[in-house]
Amino acid sequence: MRRILGVIACAACAVPAAAQQQRLQFTAGGGAFQEIVQSHVDSNNSRFTGLLLGAEGSLVSDRFIIRLRYAEGKVNPRNASIPSGGGGALANVLHGTAAAAAVDSAPRDVVEGEALVGFRALPWLTLWAGPSARAYTVGDANQRWLIWSGRASVRGTLLPGRMQTFLELWGALSGNVGNPPVSASGRGADGGLELRLGEAAAFWGRLGYRIQSTHAEGLRETVESLTLSLVYGLPQ
Amino acid sequence: MNRLLAGFIVTALLVPTIARAQSAGSLLEQGIRAYTVREYDGAAWLLRHALTAEGANALPSSETARALMYLTATEVARGQRDSAVSAAHRLMVLDPRYRPDQQTFPPDVIAIFQNARRSAPTVSIRAIGDTIRPGADAFIVRLGSTASPEVTATVNSADGRVVRTLYNGAFRDSVDLRWNGLDASGSPPPDGRYAVIVTPSARERHGASASWTLRLPIEVAHLPVDTLPLPAAPSDSLMRPEHGDTKDAVLALAPGLGASLAIILVPKLVASGEHASSARLIVGGSVAIAGIAAFLSHHPGQQLAANERYNRSLRDNWKRNVAEISRRNADRIRQTRMIIRPGAPSLTTSGGDTP
Repeated sequence: MRRILGVIACAACAVPAAAQQQRLQFTAGGGAFQEIVQSHVDSNNSRFTGLLLGAEGSLVSDRFIIRLRYAEGKVNPRNASIPSGGGGALANVLHGTAAAAAVDSAPRDVVEGEALVGFRALPWLTLWAGPSARAYTVGDANQRWLIWSGRASVRGTLLPGRMQTFLELWGALSGNVGNPPVSASGRGADGGLELRLGEAAAFWGRLGYRIQSTHAEGLRETVESLTLSLVYGLPQ
Repeated sequence: MNRLLAGFIVTALLVPTIARAQSAGSLLEQGIRAYTVREYDGAAWLLRHALTAEGANALPSSETARALMYLTATEVARGQRDSAVSAAHRLMVLDPRYRPDQQTFPPDVIAIFQNARRSAPTVSIRAIGDTIRPGADAFIVRLGSTASPEVTATVNSADGRVVRTLYNGAFRDSVDLRWNGLDASGSPPPDGRYAVIVTPSARERHGASASWTLRLPIEVAHLPVDTLPLPAAPSDSLMRPEHGDTKDAVLALAPGLGASLAIILVPKLVASGEHASSARLIVGGSVAIAGIAAFLSHHPGQQLAANERYNRSLRDNWKRNVAEISRRNADRIRQTRMIIRPGAPSLTTSGGDTP
């Protein structure tokens, strides 16, 4: 965790200077994510909620964008149902049925991240590709989703220079989960509102809703997030 | 035969040049010789031609005075009294201190001269051509007098309008009138013909038997100066609409409602079968409200403050540029040089006598 924060701090110092030299724009921000997780392992359903804190940054040229996001936090179980005899696929993923029963009622330390490259096809349309990962630990066990996705995001202006909306849809190109890895797939969406904080302010506030649903053999996880972020620079 | 023709051609080419090259001084000497041998008509012709010479060929002041004195004597001898008086007046204007040699000229000539001296104003005017920077340098006109006249001196335009008053008062011996090349409002007058007009003051006129006006024509020309063109006013295409219209309102509403609807419905598409939380309603509702607010801020008749500010800024920038360039141009114009070329002075008396 300290290493990651150190890397982010170094990047935050180095990127603006480098971007200015290359005549690139950059954005940087941080936010809080209220997550609602619905986890299905065969017939075993669990619901978790919790708060994640994260950071994001992007480097923007005329047509290309690089976007990085990182968040971590803890989600806690709300209502878990553990039917008897369940856990076929989960046994492969989480090393045993007994462990599955234990983890569904335990809090999860969650880490999320993505690294995407975008191409601005139209002023309001950007196409993205890249990996995103979501991992959590439960006791001794690790669960990691790695999804390579293709995305399309659109932006609409409500008040020029003051307020804009965005919507992003994505679908998995390939992916895996667990160790040993099992093929996984998924799709998701992200949408919301961005508001400039003051007439000539450099900071924007963002209110967003994000949903993603990933699934593998006998395993499905749906994550909804209500996000509140503060971003330096015009969000892209 | 051929030689003779060649001689004629050479003579035809050379004679006009030689005649032109004959200097005013030479004409003056020939005129004086003609007067002494009593060839008065020839003397009058030669002396008048000597006096009409201009530029580098012109007679110096002392020689001009001498030519005028001999012309006065010649006209007396020819019985042309008016012409003699006129020449004597010109001499007085040129040099009020001039005194004829009583051994050289007969008494009737001396008498004419003395009469002219008594009737003419004893004021002379003299200036040499100059190039000045208006407002910084001065064009100097020297007034001379043997008395202490009270005069008013002005620079007048060709239509008689007073451009600038240079002097108003009495002086003794001589006074330098300085004109800085600006009119009464402090601006350089346009190119053209002007005149320095010297007249006796009202009190002086009241005491004298005849009034007079001394006139020194001057020609004013400005050296050309490069000024910057003023920028054109911002065109309408650069201005943003200051009032909302229906199209803008719909364009602001559409993305708000579209995104709102998508956020509310997208969980059905992404995770069908799941029970989506109310978070999507919070965000979707907020986006819809923002879209409606944007619609209302663009509705027809609504003043768009941001666009007004933008347009005002555009206009203010343009005005600032115009003011700055105008200031620079004014500086350049102030630095420009003005050429002032004086002509031959003339005197008009109340009787209409113009020498």
